[in-house]
Amino acid sequence: MEREVAIQIQGLTKEYRLGVIGSGTLQRDIQSWWARLRHKEDPNKKVGSKNYGKNETFTALDGLNLTVYKGERLGIIGRNGAGKSTLLKIISRITSPTKGTIGINGRVSSMLEVGTGFHGELTGRENIYLNGAILGMTKAEVNSKIDKIIEFSEIEQFIDTPVKRYSSGMYVKLAFSVAAHLNSEIMIMDEVLAVGDLAFQKKCLDKMGDVSREEGRTILYVSHNMETIRRLCDRCVVLDKGKIVFNGDVERAIKIYSSI
Amino acid sequence: MKGTFDTLITAKSNPFRLNLKETTKYKDLIWLFVQRDFKTKYKQTILGPLWFVIQPLLTTFIFTIVFGKIAKLSTDGVPQFLFYLAGNVPWLFFSSCLNRTSATFYENVRIFGRVYFPRIAVPISTVITCFFNFLIQFIMFVAIDIILILIGANVQITWYAMLFPLLILQLGVLGMGVGIIISSLTVKYRDLQVLVSFGVQLWMYISPVVYSVASIENSTLKTLVMINPVSPAIEFMRAGWLGVGTTNWMYLGIGLAVTAVIAFVGLVIFNKTEKNFMDKI
Repeated sequence: MEREVAIQIQGLTKEYRLGVIGSGTLQRDIQSWWARLRHKEDPNKKVGSKNYGKNETFTALDGLNLTVYKGERLGIIGRNGAGKSTLLKIISRITSPTKGTIGINGRVSSMLEVGTGFHGELTGRENIYLNGAILGMTKAEVNSKIDKIIEFSEIEQFIDTPVKRYSSGMYVKLAFSVAAHLNSEIMIMDEVLAVGDLAFQKKCLDKMGDVSREEGRTILYVSHNMETIRRLCDRCVVLDKGKIVFNGDVERAIKIYSSI
Repeated sequence: MKGTFDTLITAKSNPFRLNLKETTKYKDLIWLFVQRDFKTKYKQTILGPLWFVIQPLLTTFIFTIVFGKIAKLSTDGVPQFLFYLAGNVPWLFFSSCLNRTSATFYENVRIFGRVYFPRIAVPISTVITCFFNFLIQFIMFVAIDIILILIGANVQITWYAMLFPLLILQLGVLGMGVGIIISSLTVKYRDLQVLVSFGVQLWMYISPVVYSVASIENSTLKTLVMINPVSPAIEFMRAGWLGVGTTNWMYLGIGLAVTAVIAFVGLVIFNKTEKNFMDKI
């Protein structure tokens, strides 16, 4: 039987321009432009800094091809600057690619940070609604899950207190509970579990694994913590300098990652 | 690419595809943003929501002293305080829509950098918040208006008052249109933000807030003021609730057309900017 495709990435490339993109003020940009026009020295150039040409770029992702099937829990590992976060940002539609296409089946929820959009003055309960909506849930969906979310967060006692009075641990627990109860078919997580106590981390990972197995939810997970990768993922890709250098078994991926 | 997908992410996208349908799926989010703005604005303040009415009352009071008592500008026989209030309340709505939506990208970098939702949800919720602020101020204005009519001031409510929803819609859409154009441009040029704060101040003086169009004697100047899309809206408001004002349908039509064009241009620029602004801000 052919497996259902959740995400298909073809020839994905992302380039960033090097050097300074404009000076940030209109007046200086016009000054610099006028200087270039007369072949004079740019008055706003930093002394000693290199001149970058218009086409000098940094390639964060270099012609990536990847297919992720429904229900897979894919780990993405690689050194700093390998392109992991850029990849997640493009799939989450925070920035767009320079070249290539991505096809996605299902709703995507990205958790590149816990508690996005939390407002300190609002209570825990109010923040559940706000954060849930930001992550793509409707009010009715949050309503049907609010009891479970509060129970999972282990902070029932403080749920009607403004979150600015929360400890950082309570904050993370609440935020993660919202994320763990999302309805979306594809979840994108970037090192979000690096916070919170060990027991809660384990609880979250198990919850993620459970929903993935039971409901066929697809998970893309980026982490530098190999223990959590082993615990959650059933396939793993290794990124290096914007390219996929390995794609397959988790243990072998971890071995390759530690050798580059 | 073979197969069909719910979402297709490509390098180039058509800026004229405005994704309005997708935005309607996020109406709960827009509503929650409005609630957040209301709940958080006046927490830990003494007067709380009373600030909504204190602000227009104070500025109108100053206008009355400066333009009414000192400069002695004509108010077409209407009690000065009421005349300035009638200009000030819609003007405050327009300027708050413009000011607050013009910071959309800059103020939401954190949240926009972490999660996707149609970015237009933020300025829309801002305008709705401004509208509720306005509504409270407007009810106060109508109350003062009716009290003055009852005690026999030279003021009357006319049929033009029925145009009120159209005029407010126009001011809101215009404020948001200009605001999102500026917010898109400030992604690259921060100094435009400075321009906004005094640009709006200057805009007020070419709008009939502290004077009436009827009192302008120079006809070129009069045309210039009426070409400003805010002016017919304010004049028609005054005509409706005070019984004085220049009710010129042609200028109102021009104002509405200009508003529609600015809103469309704004949406297209905003749509184009949101795709890549994280790399530039």
